[in-house]
Parts: sequence; structure tokens; C-alpha cells
Amino acid sequence: MYYHTCTNNNENFMYIYLPIAEQPIHSLAILGVGTFLGLIMGLVGVGGGFLLTPIMMFLGIPPPVAVASVANQLVAPSVSGVLSHWKRGNVDFKMGTVLLLGGVVGSSIGVVIFNFLGKIGQLDLVIKSSYVVFLTLIGSLMLSESLNLILRKRKGKVSRGKLHQHNWLHGLPFKTRFRKSKLYISVLLPIFIGIIVGILAALMGIGGGFIIVPAMIYLLGMPTSLVVGTSLFQIIFVAANTTILQASQNQTVDIVLASILLLGSVVGVQVGSRFTNILKGEYLRLILSTLIILVSLKLLTDLITIPSDIFSVIINR
Amino acid sequence: MKFLTSLHILVLVFIISYDVKAKNQIVADLSQENVKITTDFLGAKILLFGAYDGQKGDDIIVVVTGPKGLVTVQKKEKVFGIWVNTKSVNYINTPKYLNISSNRDINKILNQKTQKISEIGLNNLKIRLQPGKKVQKEKEWREALTRNMLKSKLWSLNENSISLNKNALFRSYLSLPSNVITGQFEVKILHYRNSKLISKELSTINVSKSGVSAEIYNIAQNYSTLYGIFAVILAVLVGWGTNLIFRKV
Repeated sequence: MYYHTCTNNNENFMYIYLPIAEQPIHSLAILGVGTFLGLIMGLVGVGGGFLLTPIMMFLGIPPPVAVASVANQLVAPSVSGVLSHWKRGNVDFKMGTVLLLGGVVGSSIGVVIFNFLGKIGQLDLVIKSSYVVFLTLIGSLMLSESLNLILRKRKGKVSRGKLHQHNWLHGLPFKTRFRKSKLYISVLLPIFIGIIVGILAALMGIGGGFIIVPAMIYLLGMPTSLVVGTSLFQIIFVAANTTILQASQNQTVDIVLASILLLGSVVGVQVGSRFTNILKGEYLRLILSTLIILVSLKLLTDLITIPSDIFSVIINR
Repeated sequence: MKFLTSLHILVLVFIISYDVKAKNQIVADLSQENVKITTDFLGAKILLFGAYDGQKGDDIIVVVTGPKGLVTVQKKEKVFGIWVNTKSVNYINTPKYLNISSNRDINKILNQKTQKISEIGLNNLKIRLQPGKKVQKEKEWREALTRNMLKSKLWSLNENSISLNKNALFRSYLSLPSNVITGQFEVKILHYRNSKLISKELSTINVSKSGVSAEIYNIAQNYSTLYGIFAVILAVLVGWGTNLIFRKV
């Protein structure tokens, strides 16, 4: 008769039990994913959350926990990034503050929607399908833009467009001067952008950089040098607000998961930002956009293929 | 150490079995009565062993039942090309952990009627639909519940898994998966002779979160806003800290 109660063998010591997700996970895998995503973030400036959350879901973390914990981890690389950009004078604090006011309102709305979707049992579906839509959109835009740029550079022609275009959006009331960005636009526009991004941030576990950066360039007409620093500045507050609300409303923030991820990502960001000059931007975007499209395809396949069992069970704790 | 413990149990079991012979009863013990979910928890395997006053052909059935409560079964349907959860059914009084083990096929030990009466078998559990909702094809939902609970390893049926020795000793293993629910688990050890219950023994296993993992879970539940603020402060400090470190490099 032998006696055996212990399952913690040597090969298993890398596993760590996540207290909120209520399951064990390989800590090195999570650390690796965090570092990899941090690298991308450092290299391209965006791309932390919107790849991280789907990867967490692929690794078996329940979508609500993935979304809330990624929001938590995003605070760290954003703080670190803003500090570097601030030193170089690349943050428009006035614009950032207006954006974050909208963002805080938006993320609060987002958490309420999140809570509601959870109650009616459609949360997973909404998270996954919004990822499919946004990742496909962003991925294909990025892909075509980088391919265009590569082709044009090969031909030797690099044309510069107008700084920004004026349209009806600039005719809205409450015009305010943003000295740093050299803009005189309606304050409603950045607030509105902030709200939309905030809602998506809370629902999808993203900082919203990949939406707010193009919006700042194309809708607001901000100088590109200020865009990344300013968006990171507002992401800190949106992600922080989302984290606190998710924690208090839904108890879905897994601090252990977030900590491992953020340790990896802050290092990754720093290393990545040191290599931005070595790798060409358009090739980097090409690789990233391919990655985004692959992730979105994987999510789409999950949604449209016949599930192995059309019934599933939720154990209410 | 392991050897000593085994020896210890062996001696103990023989002493007990001597005693059991006299009183016509069953005595059982568990290698672990308190299962702690700590940060390195990957599930647990518990040895259940004991002695019974047996004859040739006697049978032992062990039923371990975890905390009971609400379990929801969802059904997906294709809507505009996407598989969506469209219907759901709630079951109350459903064990969130169940392990039925026996020394041979339960159908050979007990007839269907006795199984039903004594709630032995996955289909004989007294699980009820939540009142107030009419359900069509209830059987389909009930089967889906059993199938999914078995797949998640929270339910298991292990016939032929109990080993009997000299009609006096029995031994069985229980597996608790890593996604096990916390609470009190009831262990029922049943001794049958010719389909008649001769004796039974009850025991309990306590599954609880422990250590750092438990602390974090409790704080997240009871002081949720503070927990969120703390999570943010931690992230800010790490972000700021790395910036300081890398500035110097």
C-alpha cells in the first residue's frame, strides 16, 4: 500500500494558481506573452491590450477575467511610456485631459454594459465578436497602409499629404485652443472620441490606443509626434478607471495574472523602444498587421464552427 | 517518510479491522481531510481506505458529494452564421462535485430500483429544475448537464476503482480537479451484501482556499473597490519603477 496525496511534482512548480480566474496557469507562458506584447508596444507604440486579451482567452482564462486583468496590467506600461514621452515633450496634457474625461465617462458606461451582458449570458459572444470586427478592420487597414508605403518607397516616391483636413467636425461649438497640438477645435470632438474609446476599453480590455491614435491623427488632426504620448496619458486613466470599476462591480480583476503580465510587459516596452530605430516602421507594421489578422481569424473560426457540444454548463459559485 | 506513513496506516488498518470484525461495522479514513487551495494548487488526489466486516462477494460503493447549488445549462444555436447562446435552463440542488466509485459495475451490485431509491448513479440524483420555467425536451438538457460535468471532471463515475482485500480492507482514490469548488464534501461509504446495505460510514472533506490565494480572493470579494485601487497603484508603481531603472541603464 502506498500513500500519495501530493500532486506538486517538480515539472509542475512553474504553475501558479490564479485566485480570481480560479485555475492554475503556467507562469512562464504568461510572463513570455507579457514580454512579447510589451516588445510590440515598445516598437510600434500601440498593440498591448488588443492582442493580449484574445491570447489570454486562447490560454483558457475566462473572457471576463481576461478583459479586466489586462486593463489592470495596461496601467504599468502606459505610465512607463508617458514618462519617457513627457521627457521628450511629446505629451499634450490639455488634449489628454479632455480625452480622459470622455474616457472615464465611457469606461464607466462600458463596465455597466459589461455587467448587463454577463447577466444575460452574452458577454463572451460580445467580447469575441467585437474583437473580430475591430481586429479585422485595424489589421487590414494597417496591412494595406504598410504595403502601400513599402511599394511607394521601392518606386522612390514618398508623397506627403495635407497636415489635416477640415470637415464638418471642425464646425462644432465650444471651440478651444490646444496650444501644444496647434489646434483650435471643438472640445466636444475629443470628449466624444474619449467616450467611444472608453466604452470599448472597458468591454474589450484594451487601452484603446489602436482606435484613439488614428482618431487623433485623422479626426483631430494632431501632430503625429504628440499622438502616442498623449494617447498613453489618457490610457492610464481609462485603464485605471476600468480596473477599479471591474474590481468593484464584477470582481473580475485577477491581480496575480495582471502582475505577471505587467512585469513582462514593462521590460518588453523598454527593450522594444530601444530597437525602434533599427527596424523599419513599415515592415514592423506589416508583421503586426499579419499577427492581428491571424488572431482575428482564429476568433472568427471559434464563432462560426460547430461547437463540439452545443450545450455548455455554468457553475454558479 | 512516505514508507513510514504507509506502514503506520497498514498497522492501524489491521488493528481496526480486528475491531471491526467484532462489531459488524465499517471504518474508514482519508489521507487528507482538509484540502487547501494554495498558489501551487493543481488538484488533489486523496486516498480513502478502511476496513469492513466482509464476506466473499460483498461490495463497497463510495459516493462523494460536493456543495450543491445552482448550475446553468446553456444551448447554442446558429444565428446569422454565428453560434450564440440562445436558451438556458437552471438546475437547483445540483452537486458541484460528485464522485461515485465502486468495486465492480454498480448494475451488478444493485438493481435499477434500489439505485434510484438510494440516489446512486449519475441519473438518479435528486436534481430539480428551477421552478417557474417550462422546459421542452427536458431529457436533452439533463443529459447535457451530466455530459458537461463529466467532461469538466467535476463529476466522475469510477466503477471497478475500489480495491478490496481479504474481504476486510478497501482502498480507493478520489481526484479533485484544479477547478474544484470550495466547501464541505460529504463522503458516504456503503457496504452491501447481496444488494442489502449492511453498514455505512460518513466522513467529510473540507476544501478551502488558503494562504495568499485565499487572502487575495477574500479581499477581492469583500473590499472590492480598495482591491481595485490597490491593483492600479501597484501597476503605476511598477511602471514608474521600470522607467527609473531603465533610465539609468
